[in-house]
Amino acid sequence: MIVENISQRPGRRVHVVQGEHYVTDDPDVVLTTILGSCVAVCLWDPVRAVGGMNHFLLPEGRADGANEGRRYGAYAMELLINELMRLGARRERLQAKLFGGARMFNGLSDVGASNAAFAEKFMRDEAIPVLGTSLGGFGARRIQFWPTTGRAQQKTVTDNNDLARLKEVPKPAPAPVDDGGELELF
Amino acid sequence: MPAPGAIKTLIADDQQSMRSLIRTSLHTLGITQTREVADGEDAFRALIAQPANLVITDFNMPKLDGLGLLRAIRAHAPISKTAVIMLTGRADRELVQRAVQFGVNNYLVKPFTTQTLKEKIEAVFGPLA
Repeated sequence: MIVENISQRPGRRVHVVQGEHYVTDDPDVVLTTILGSCVAVCLWDPVRAVGGMNHFLLPEGRADGANEGRRYGAYAMELLINELMRLGARRERLQAKLFGGARMFNGLSDVGASNAAFAEKFMRDEAIPVLGTSLGGFGARRIQFWPTTGRAQQKTVTDNNDLARLKEVPKPAPAPVDDGGELELF
Repeated sequence: MPAPGAIKTLIADDQQSMRSLIRTSLHTLGITQTREVADGEDAFRALIAQPANLVITDFNMPKLDGLGLLRAIRAHAPISKTAVIMLTGRADRELVQRAVQFGVNNYLVKPFTTQTLKEKIEAVFGPLA
């Protein structure tokens, strides 16, 4: 992620890029991201006042077929939830807001819709209440999320500089990795 | 060469989506005798009530984490020989080393494929029939 200190704007802004997540209980932090087909899941525990955001694009059409997207997505979600719990959040208190999943290109498959559907299904499966969504559509979004309160703002992206930061196509989400070799203990 | 259908497996993970993925992969491999729990304490209780051949457990779980579950299993004679495969994140090298000290049979780094899961199970039980 990119940490920005912009003097005109109060608070520390942390930009969450594709494939990453950020969790904090610092009330001065604002998490930001720019989304096209990707989805950002914003989770927070209002009692502990801790929250975080991830930003993912599910892989598709590889060895394990449709299952691979679920695997990657479940892992991306687990990283975020584990970090929240490490900072004292309780799973049963988590609340969610979901953004992104736009159809950015006219292709055969709607990657954005797949990402959005995954995020919604995940929240249903894990029984995490979703307090707000802005999913689908045809345009990019700029998101700001205040992780300790759950407040979120969305703006439609029209600025070319912002659109240039959307590097979703050349940087697909990493596929599930085989761990062979890194830790040879058995 | 064990028959996959004979391997009784307990899945312990606090994330329902992850349990579902593991179950789906196991069923694909023919390992259909599966049970699921959401934390380490429930896992231990489930094993006492009905032993299993294999436990696939996450590390991060409420109440009792995967390492605690592993130690509890190894310390309780009736189930101490149960095979345990630990699920970890990529950055958990230290955790894997601790799990090895406590007698884990193998580990699996998330996100994993069905093929990798098969290889880990076969490393414990031998080639699946």
